[in-house]
Amino acid sequence: MASNKTAQKTLSLAPVLDLNEATTLHEKLLALKGSDVAIDASAVERVGTLCVQVLMAGAKTWEEDHLSFTFSKVSDAFEKTTQLIGVEIDHLVAKEI
Amino acid sequence: MKKRVLTVDDSRTIRNMLLVTLNNAGFETIQAEDGVEGLEVLEEANPDVIVTDINMPRLDGFGFIEGVRKNDRYRAIPILVLTTESDAEKKNRARQAGATGWIVKPFDPTKLIDAIERVTA
Amino acid sequence: MDMNEIKEIFFQECEEQLAELESGLLKLNDGDRDPETVNAVFRAVHSIKGGAGAFGLDDLVSFAHVFETTLDCVRSNRLDPGPEVLKVMLKSADVLADLTNAARDGGSVDEARSRQLIKELEALANGEVPQASAAPVEVVAKPVAAVAAPPVNEEGFQPVAFSFDDFEAAEEPPLMETPTYEIVFRPKSDLYAKGNEATLLLRDLSRLGDMSIHCDMEALPTLDRLSPESAYFFWKIQLATDKGEDAIRAVFEFAEWDCDLEISLASDEAASSDEELPMQPVPFDLSILDDEPAVSVGVVEEEEQLASQQLGNAAVSVAGTASNVLQMAQSAARAPAEKAAPAASAAAQGAAGQQAAASAATPTIRVDLDRVDRLINLVGELVINQAMLSQSVVENDTNGTSSINMGLEELQQLTREIQDSVMAIRAQPVKPVFQRMSRIVREIADMTGKSVRLITEGENTEVDKTVIDKLAEPLTHMIRNAVDHGLETPEKRLAAGKSAEGTVRLTAKHRSGRIVIELADDGAGINREKVRQKAIDNDLIAADANLSDEEIDNLIFHAGFSTADKISDISGRGVGMDVVKRSIQALGGRINISSKPGHGSVFTMSLPLTLAVLDGMVVTVANQTLVVPLTAIVETLQPEASAIHSFGANQRLISIRNSFCPLVDVGRILNFRAIQANPVEGVALLVESEGGGQRALMVDAIQGQRQVVIKSLEANYTHVPGIAAATILGDGRVALILDVDAIVAASRGQSLKPEMSLAAVG
Repeated sequence: MASNKTAQKTLSLAPVLDLNEATTLHEKLLALKGSDVAIDASAVERVGTLCVQVLMAGAKTWEEDHLSFTFSKVSDAFEKTTQLIGVEIDHLVAKEI
Repeated sequence: MKKRVLTVDDSRTIRNMLLVTLNNAGFETIQAEDGVEGLEVLEEANPDVIVTDINMPRLDGFGFIEGVRKNDRYRAIPILVLTTESDAEKKNRARQAGATGWIVKPFDPTKLIDAIERVTA
Repeated sequence: MDMNEIKEIFFQECEEQLAELESGLLKLNDGDRDPETVNAVFRAVHSIKGGAGAFGLDDLVSFAHVFETTLDCVRSNRLDPGPEVLKVMLKSADVLADLTNAARDGGSVDEARSRQLIKELEALANGEVPQASAAPVEVVAKPVAAVAAPPVNEEGFQPVAFSFDDFEAAEEPPLMETPTYEIVFRPKSDLYAKGNEATLLLRDLSRLGDMSIHCDMEALPTLDRLSPESAYFFWKIQLATDKGEDAIRAVFEFAEWDCDLEISLASDEAASSDEELPMQPVPFDLSILDDEPAVSVGVVEEEEQLASQQLGNAAVSVAGTASNVLQMAQSAARAPAEKAAPAASAAAQGAAGQQAAASAATPTIRVDLDRVDRLINLVGELVINQAMLSQSVVENDTNGTSSINMGLEELQQLTREIQDSVMAIRAQPVKPVFQRMSRIVREIADMTGKSVRLITEGENTEVDKTVIDKLAEPLTHMIRNAVDHGLETPEKRLAAGKSAEGTVRLTAKHRSGRIVIELADDGAGINREKVRQKAIDNDLIAADANLSDEEIDNLIFHAGFSTADKISDISGRGVGMDVVKRSIQALGGRINISSKPGHGSVFTMSLPLTLAVLDGMVVTVANQTLVVPLTAIVETLQPEASAIHSFGANQRLISIRNSFCPLVDVGRILNFRAIQANPVEGVALLVESEGGGQRALMVDAIQGQRQVVIKSLEANYTHVPGIAAATILGDGRVALILDVDAIVAASRGQSLKPEMSLAAVG
């Protein structure tokens, strides 16, 4: 999975990932296309479905591009919400803790 | 952290009831008297949820909801409409205008708080 | 609808819920394990808690909360409602009833008892089941392994995943079989655009029971083809809940137009074997979303249930008639059950006695107010009709036989009695309004950082319901005013040598056919310099006006004198005392203030006991018949020429027992005539005006005293300055009822200017 092309880029998520943030997040992710990316979700207090969709679409895209897409850190709220709505992110969470 | 509720209603009685109910339930309450004032205080209030009446002078609830939904910064805010059970047509119009949900009158504090809890994280 | 009415409704519901609670608990005591019974009991307490929360009834809320938490353990099968548990719960139901009564009627509650019960309830919620017999506690939480067992979370609580593969195992404990629903939830993009959120809907859904969820992401495109605000995810959910499909639909109430929703009851086989979806179990401890305490699971053994059944049978056998009787019977039946635990029984029996006494109070019926009003209107017509009849007998048959006259007298007597009785139907104590004020005081005290004690007296003073209903609002403003402006901050009070805590005293009493309500504070009193300056600034008085202290104090009632120019949190836009005065006057009342600098102010309101009838003096002024409210008149006198003194251009004074009193020509003020009448030819009515000063109203002649039925001019015609209302006399003529205060106020300015009359009459 790990890429040998470029250095890994980090994307830190905003505390509130609501309807408004979905478009912003989409653009930010698109801008990172082509690089390995680590998502820092440690500051997330609230996350809505639309932003989870964007992130999962990102994971799917990165997978197709054979690049690495991981969550370097996740907040409790982020983990619990994704778990609640049945979105599996375990395989994307960085294991080296 | 207290949740902030913006209430928009022209009736002083309802405003007082909302205020008392919301404060007792631990919310921070900001009040406006009609749709125009509601839109004016939106930025200052920066609410987590809005509760609005429909029949109001100057700008009614439908117009107010549309105004909020057109506002790039605040369009994601859940909006609850105070409505009567019998008035399905108004409920429908409010929904089309972008209302998130409704609270059926006569005013019931429990229903109000429940509805707010339902649409907020 | 005002808060008072809501509160009234709330207490009515409380009664119903308390009855529901008690009968539910007795059913459980009888061995009933229907989840709906437990739910009903839970809902009763929950709804009392919810309503009480809205009214700031903190004691009730905190007790109900603890009670509810424990009931939730029963509801989720974490606590078996055995006899020992139910004993605590029934006692708790009593305390809850006491607290509700106390909240409504102000009575006191045995605090030690409620504290003790809170402890016992908390112990139950924490899994400490009281051991009456040697009933071992069996832990039912056997995580079943069909689905990956959820991890132990931070709180060390082992969540129980509901297993669809293991219904045999689920039958082992004495639990009701919980139905499982299959739900397919497909949001549309609109759902998100309207501020709804699938995460929140799923959160609420998960709270209904044990939920397994599968998120279908098949529709999700890659990033470049993604429209970030469109809905792609949908969910397949299995939910084991005993709350029914309606509860599930209720979760989606706001979203149902903006999603596709399929709900079906899963059959056992489908649930157990044909499981194709990789379901992800959701641990039901969603601590981030729900802060209710997690409690371990415990179920009491069957022997104890049998015992409970026996006790319950005894209790229920007595019950079963109308609700009042039922309540008494249940309370009585409970007492023997308590004897198992002698320590607690005395208190419980006391409560049972108390409750029985409360139930034995005078029986009441609820009558639609409209019916009473119609009756009152009809009696009003009867009074008029009876007066007309008397009059025509006098006019047409001057030799009226004594039997006719006696019959008429009896009719008059009866009419009067009927009227009084009908009025009494509407009479209610001011208590609910007064009680409401204590909360207003609390709120405004909190808001202003002041320490305030409210003392109420005469709560049982009765007055017409209409008056009570309309009293709440002006009283609320006055209380706010008294705390906000009247009382000083604790620091200032201490500096002035007073106690830090301010006192507001609210008193009601009957005085000469009216109700007098006094609101006294021990604050700083009116700052007359400031009030006077403000009045001058606002052109209300001339800069050199010579006003008595009393007149200055009363300036605060003047329209345009609102000192509250900022928006206050509690009352919205500031409301001036002029509005208060107007609403009091609209009720036919008077208000005035007396203030002592440094010692506080007293507002005195005098209101009629009913808005339907009035004792009046019928007088003639310039050939018109007028009615002067009897309550306003101090005495009547025949002026002598020597007692009249001219003063200024057209002012006249009358000397009465060595003091001078301004003479007011009613006919002139009302523009019935152009020139002042000669006082010697008329009669002077000495009246007490709102400021307390006396005036002599000049009328031409007195016709007599009569009780008249008030007909609103505003409703039937239009507001007339100086006139409070109208009435119909015995001869069928319409007579106007004088607004004495407005006339006196106008006499200062010589004529009734519309603005003046507005301020005075409202």
